[in-house]
Amino acid sequence: MTLSFTNADWNAIAPIDILAAAGLAVLLADLFAGRKQWRYASIVIGLLGVLVAAIVAGRQFGHQYDAFFGGFMTGGFATVFEEIVLIGTAGSLLLYSTIGPGPRVAGTVAIMLWSACGAMLMAGAANLIAIFLGLELLSLGLYALCAAVDRKTARESALKYLILSSTATAFLLFGAALLFGATGSVMLADLLNPSLASSPLFWMGAGMFLIGLVFKLSLVPFHTWTPDVFEGAPLPVTAFMSVVTKAGALAVFARFTYAALPAGVGAKLLLPVWIVAAISMIVGNVGMLAQTDLKRLLAYSGIAQIGYIVVALAGGTPLGLRYAIYYLTAYAFMNLGAFAVAAAISGPDDEEGSRLSSYRGLARRRPWLAAAMTIFLLALSGLPPTAGFLGKILILAVTVANGYIWLAAALIAGTAISLYAYAKVIRAMYAPEEGRQGGDLRPFVPLAWASAAVCAVAVIAMTFYPLTPSNILPLVR
Amino acid sequence: MPLVLVSILLPLVAAALLLFLPRGDRALSRLLGTAVAAITFATVLAGGTADWSLHWLSRPFVSAFHFGATPISFWIALLLTLCTACAIAAARVERLRDFVALLLALEGTMLGLFLSRDLLVFALFWDLMLVPVFFALVGWGEHPATAWRYFIYNFAGGLTLLLATAAFGVIYGTTDVIGLPGVALAGGWAPWIFAGFAFAFLVKTPVWPLHTWMPPTYADLPSPMTSVVAGVQSKAGLYGFLAIATAMMPGVLYRHAAPLIVLALISLVYGALVALVQNDVKRIVAYSSLSHLGLIVLAIAIGNRLALEGALVYIIAHGLFSAVLFLVLGYVEEREETRALPRLGGLGWRNPRLSGALCIAALAALGLPGLAGFAGELLILIGVYQNGYVWPAIVALVAIVLASAYMLRLYQGIMNGPQRTDLPVRADLTWIEGLAVAPLLAALVLLGVYPKPLLDNAAITTVQSGPLP
Repeated sequence: MTLSFTNADWNAIAPIDILAAAGLAVLLADLFAGRKQWRYASIVIGLLGVLVAAIVAGRQFGHQYDAFFGGFMTGGFATVFEEIVLIGTAGSLLLYSTIGPGPRVAGTVAIMLWSACGAMLMAGAANLIAIFLGLELLSLGLYALCAAVDRKTARESALKYLILSSTATAFLLFGAALLFGATGSVMLADLLNPSLASSPLFWMGAGMFLIGLVFKLSLVPFHTWTPDVFEGAPLPVTAFMSVVTKAGALAVFARFTYAALPAGVGAKLLLPVWIVAAISMIVGNVGMLAQTDLKRLLAYSGIAQIGYIVVALAGGTPLGLRYAIYYLTAYAFMNLGAFAVAAAISGPDDEEGSRLSSYRGLARRRPWLAAAMTIFLLALSGLPPTAGFLGKILILAVTVANGYIWLAAALIAGTAISLYAYAKVIRAMYAPEEGRQGGDLRPFVPLAWASAAVCAVAVIAMTFYPLTPSNILPLVR
Repeated sequence: MPLVLVSILLPLVAAALLLFLPRGDRALSRLLGTAVAAITFATVLAGGTADWSLHWLSRPFVSAFHFGATPISFWIALLLTLCTACAIAAARVERLRDFVALLLALEGTMLGLFLSRDLLVFALFWDLMLVPVFFALVGWGEHPATAWRYFIYNFAGGLTLLLATAAFGVIYGTTDVIGLPGVALAGGWAPWIFAGFAFAFLVKTPVWPLHTWMPPTYADLPSPMTSVVAGVQSKAGLYGFLAIATAMMPGVLYRHAAPLIVLALISLVYGALVALVQNDVKRIVAYSSLSHLGLIVLAIAIGNRLALEGALVYIIAHGLFSAVLFLVLGYVEEREETRALPRLGGLGWRNPRLSGALCIAALAALGLPGLAGFAGELLILIGVYQNGYVWPAIVALVAIVLASAYMLRLYQGIMNGPQRTDLPVRADLTWIEGLAVAPLLAALVLLGVYPKPLLDNAAITTVQSGPLP
């Protein structure tokens, strides 16, 4: 077989190329800026790159194309996930306007852009090698980003992430190898062969592949790394991990479960995943209750929120996938907004924005930030008038319609528990200020405030205009 | 713009705009708030039952932002807007601007609830109306735990409501059904969906044993907000029973009436007995509410025409007299700086207007003929008896007799007896304070003498006409 790629193949990965080039541009600009410590230049160039990539990716929507002989599928599903990844990247980059290792952030911005390339690759990957490539590209950047501040917890976080994530990748890779052994092909489409249902190699491979993915999604029982890693990492990196990593892993999970399982295998193979998702909803929300650190709180919250999204995929209906994407988008805005507020009240290090105690009396000092934070927390707990409310009812409806009533019940129970943790923060913000030490007002940070405002508007607007993409299938050829 | 939309959006927008007023200008906040609430009352009255709809979802079930009063919700919406206007006029708490904004937000969200014709929008506003009260408990309450208890209990109810709504939508195909004749849900899922709705409604009402959030909430909230929450928000569950449970699942309600009747009777008697021994005056009224609302739940579970009409009359009557009671108790607390019944006494000598307002409200609460409470109680008791429920009728009657005991104890404890020398001496009701309770008292008398507009209600669907199977 001769490998000859056409222009259309290269066009399909153009958004990824643009993002990678933007990373290089950031570094070059920093080089020429010389000694001038110009934090905004890196961020603006990075954002421009994200914007161009988003436009280019957006133009592909609706034009299905299987680039590289079906290895990278673009046009529908992939485009939507690419956009979510880009939103997450932009929202995280913005946070470097207040927080960062010294005044020069070019290196970290560039690495973040390249990590996002990995997540975008995962969004479209339809063969095992491309999936692995995307995952590694994403993770490698993150190891460096986690350690990019000079404090002990950050180094600990990076090391933990390196070791545990490598373990997950090992599972995934071994699973992929076994799947290759079972089919003799790396294409996901070749897994659809019904005769595989009787192959033990396939079952083992698919199982290990799923374990790797569940690890990346940080569902119970592979969730314990998340709070520690989130807590230690710098705030922008935490935001990035909470949205982009999960979007990438979810894209692969959705493609694998929807389009790569032979008939009759899905129900049996995926049942443990649904059970794990149900447990995650409970454990994640219970874990939130005792937290005193915003990043840890949102780490546990993320465990539960990803559980909600995975639950939408149970039953394998197209509608479920659409609602999962809707909720993922909403989740991206809620989380990015919450992190933007945290960045806006932090100094150069993110200590202050992370401690929940510094939110006490925020409504007096910064009423608008407190209002925005309230919207994000209400959305995370699923209260109206936010996208979190609509997302939950859509997921409930599709779960009930698919006959997974026990998953719906677990979702309800988890949500009920979560309310206390989220409302605790709201209460602290509006309670009279007492016993709070120090806390001079941080200056107005335009980018972080703008990010919080955009996220707040998006979270509310999505309730009334629930745009869910309709032509996201097919996922494999 | 259709009037029904105006009446929902006006308080919400006004609440947001109020926050731009200068913080210290108390009189202006109160004046604007009262004006907005009064205009809202007028728009509800003028809007009648005209409706307005905007498409929202087409999958997984059809849903629309569909608003419009039904003949039942029209009356409750009037009650709500009247109570809110009076409560804002009477409000004298600290940080008044923020408080008035919260009251207006509460009014807007509750109007959205009562006027929504779509189950999903109903569920949306159901959760939304908890938020202003939560904020009020956080900002003005005495104990942090109360805010939690209120929020978590009611949010749990909201979640089962949400699950039931989702299941209803999936099975029926649309949630745009409130006030629509001929909607009937049957089949294996119906009892579970009913259970989801019923749990939310029973928590909200509340009914024993789900009531534990209620007394501290009513006691902790500033009195003007309590009068709206106790007077109107507690009717959300009962309205839900009337508009959703009896209208769409009469068969299920008929078969599962027995546990409802038992819970209602326990609430009736338990609430009355606890009200007899409480010493905090706001808690006395809170427990009396538990007892009175148990009577309405009983009427709904019986479900014949007379009982349901009585339920509607009593919903309005209870809203009116509990709003007055809490407002007047707020006046008392403000003057005497205590709510403890043993410490109060002898206020009647120097405060004839205060004493008169409390007297009329207490008499309405104990069911004096000629006031609205009596009409409702009588209709409900006849309805219960008519279906052959002799024992429940007798138990209910005993609880109503107990109502006289605790209401008179409340009145006498505050107004009669020797004057207390250790308590501060303050002036009688000002004309603004008087004006704030006058419309509510007038409505009590008016509906007591002439309850006809509430009867013959076209929107009431009877559940059954005979005894239990």
